[in-house]
Amino acid sequence: MNDSSLRRLYPWFTVLGLLVGGLVVAAFYKDQFREWKEWQRRHLQQEIARAATPEQRAQAARLAVEIHQYVLTEPDRVDRCATCHAAVEDPSYAGLPQPLAYHPNHDRHPFEKFGCTICHQGQGRATTRQAAHGQVEHWDRPLIELKYIQSACAKCHLPSDIPDAPQLARGQAVFEDSGCIGCHKLHGSGGVIGPELDRVGATRSPEWLLKHFKNPAAVTAGSAMPPIGAGEADLQALTLYVMSFTGEPLSAYYVSMKTLPGTLAGRRLYEERGCPSCHSLAGKGGKLGPPLDQVAKRHDPQWLIAHFKNPQAISPGTIMPQFYLSEQETRALTQFLLSWSDTNVIGFLKTPATMTPVERGKAVYKKFGCAGCHGLEAQGGIPNPNAKTAQQVPGLKYVSEGYTKDELRKRILDGQREIVSLDPHKPPAPLYMPPWRGKIAEGELSDLVEYLMSLTPKGEKLDF
Amino acid sequence: MLERLWKSFQGTRLGRSIFRVGLPGSNLERAQVAISSFLLHFQPAKVNRRALKFRTTLGLGLISLYLFLILTATGVLLMFYYVPSTARAYQDMKDLEFVVTAGLVLRNMHRWAAHLMVLCVVLHLCRVFYTAAYKPPREFNWVLGVCLFLMTLALSFTGYLLPWDQLAFWAITVGTNIAGYAPLIGKKLQFMFLGGHVVGESALIRFYVLHVLVLPAVAILFIAVHLWRVRKDGGLASPAEPQVLQEELQPAQLPLTKTYGLMELARGTTPMVGLKPEEEVFTWPNLIFRELLLFLATVAVVLVLSIAFNAPLEEMANPVHPPNPAKAPWYFLGLQELVSYSAFWGGVIVPALIVFALLLLPYLDRKRRGVGVWFSHERRLAIGVFTFCLVTAVVLTVIGTAFRGPNWSFQIPWKPAAAATEGH
Repeated sequence: MNDSSLRRLYPWFTVLGLLVGGLVVAAFYKDQFREWKEWQRRHLQQEIARAATPEQRAQAARLAVEIHQYVLTEPDRVDRCATCHAAVEDPSYAGLPQPLAYHPNHDRHPFEKFGCTICHQGQGRATTRQAAHGQVEHWDRPLIELKYIQSACAKCHLPSDIPDAPQLARGQAVFEDSGCIGCHKLHGSGGVIGPELDRVGATRSPEWLLKHFKNPAAVTAGSAMPPIGAGEADLQALTLYVMSFTGEPLSAYYVSMKTLPGTLAGRRLYEERGCPSCHSLAGKGGKLGPPLDQVAKRHDPQWLIAHFKNPQAISPGTIMPQFYLSEQETRALTQFLLSWSDTNVIGFLKTPATMTPVERGKAVYKKFGCAGCHGLEAQGGIPNPNAKTAQQVPGLKYVSEGYTKDELRKRILDGQREIVSLDPHKPPAPLYMPPWRGKIAEGELSDLVEYLMSLTPKGEKLDF
Repeated sequence: MLERLWKSFQGTRLGRSIFRVGLPGSNLERAQVAISSFLLHFQPAKVNRRALKFRTTLGLGLISLYLFLILTATGVLLMFYYVPSTARAYQDMKDLEFVVTAGLVLRNMHRWAAHLMVLCVVLHLCRVFYTAAYKPPREFNWVLGVCLFLMTLALSFTGYLLPWDQLAFWAITVGTNIAGYAPLIGKKLQFMFLGGHVVGESALIRFYVLHVLVLPAVAILFIAVHLWRVRKDGGLASPAEPQVLQEELQPAQLPLTKTYGLMELARGTTPMVGLKPEEEVFTWPNLIFRELLLFLATVAVVLVLSIAFNAPLEEMANPVHPPNPAKAPWYFLGLQELVSYSAFWGGVIVPALIVFALLLLPYLDRKRRGVGVWFSHERRLAIGVFTFCLVTAVVLTVIGTAFRGPNWSFQIPWKPAAAATEGH
């Protein structure tokens, strides 16, 4: 017997059943009308319209609407941008409005190997416009604005050497001239007064960086960094260059492009003469000799050249044979090794083979970023509040008056941590001279001392 | 019309081979459905009319069971797309959202059903307490229920880590740190949970195995025994039950007032043949139909929530970038609030006391008063104490959720304190 109360419940069954059925349909319905399908259909309509013959038209009509993706194994990414941007590889779509347009020069960096997000950033796995362009919460790498796209080149290439990215080279030049690494570490070398810059491109927006260069104290409370005195165009270039410091792990396949074209010869020699049989780079090679990844941090270029010429004389007891290299070959190999381990290749090898010690010293001054505190012409003048030295970093033009060469060497190696305060009741001065022992090679140190000693204007004598 | 269709199918050889007994048409058949059907044999042939009323139990136990079934079904489907590796997990969550058909709704269903299940299990516990349905002979079933409650929390906690985003990573870091505060065994306990000293690859695979294999298997076992005990303890607790059921009944004592089509000699304390008032109706279709309606309603609620609200997914887990504040999952936030007062007393002693109090409750409170009655006046002390504890737990959880900002400082929810931000 059916309870009469049961009959009253029958309509509920119908209602709930229809509701659940409707909700299930709704859940799948949302899926059917994904926005990327609309864009692909438009692309396919274009394909059909462009078909010349009925066979081509039939072929185009059979093309499926589906997800397009580039799966990269080494940087472990999946880029689905081509799902909406379906014509990126088809030159006949050049000039059309996005997302139907062709990507210029796409064959230079084939998408199957590079994907899209390595350069353009954004969220490759997404298939909606907002999410894929990274303009959503919880994604901190949105699409780069096109005006900053050159910064991506520096992830794999040496900045000074990309013909199609002149702003990047300019940015690097401004970076080196301003002596940023005098206070900031980059790739393991530099000063310790400011924070490291290895990931600053990933953590700060370009707008922040630009404001920071113009007036650091306005952006970071209590900053001792002086404003970078450069024009607007130079600051834009500097921002673009600094944006390339993303610290993204990229495998050797990509990073191996960090060579100057002149060093391609060195790279070829490196492989032809059998160096990988004893030495390794990026983990690939032999283990008899030391890995060469950071060799430029341990030895200056003269040491490397001398070592190539006569390994036994420089490293007694070594089993490295004499290779009887010509002058050209030695320079090429040295250039290759330098560019591998030091992305801030100062123009030592871009300039003539012979330089005077003073000229080399000037390059060392630039290499270690002394200009960041002591000024581009060693004139000093950077504000250092409450420092006894007239509340500014002292200039170096007259060091020959106050120091002997040995004293100057000692001062550079030891640094000066405690800066005498003008007013002992106020906080101590923020900028100090860091110790360069262990960071500067012997040959570089003597050249630097020569350079500094040479700065005193001739014929002038200070009276104290 | 459906009945006619069904009957014609039943008439065929194929139909008869699958369904040994057709749709019940007579009372005999309705009674037989309880033993002739595999799926329905865990229900008795007849139930008290009281059991049909929604307000008797609010169906909370059933809802918890249905949510468990929904979670199992959606969970299996999710397992097709998820690999428990730190390199893959987060990316698989993204793929579910962007590539898998109805992937986002599937994930949402799993997450909202999980939160609902924790809530419904707690409500079910409260209902059983307030109707004194833990008193003898149902003490052990209460204990099973408390174990199931702890298993529900464990299932939710292990599942929380699997998306491997910032929310998951730091919630589990906080949770396992609280476990580490236990004296003597704390650090070893934490190491056992994590398979290491930090939340990493080992913790992920460990939590995954617990979440998809070990805990569901144990939970299913406990659920089976829990439901079986409901039957054997005489069905839903009712005020009309006889008070004393401990003595062994002799056959001669049974009043011979009814016959069944099945042969069962009633001995021992269960079932309660002839001991309860005869206000019974057939399970089929009265109870079954209502259970089906409740199932549809539960599924409808879960679907509505899943279509309307997306499960959260923050940035990928980053061990060097803790959020401030780092919060445990919501059901542990009351605990975290307690821990912020004292790691030992708040994080170890109080929760242990609560669990022991719950487990021992039916053995401490044996007075057979107010069984089957909501908020019985005779039990007002017990109800008062329980309600106080419940309200305290809720208040602490609310404080931990809404009133705690960076560095666990007190903040008004609508005037959040500025967290330490990077320049952007």
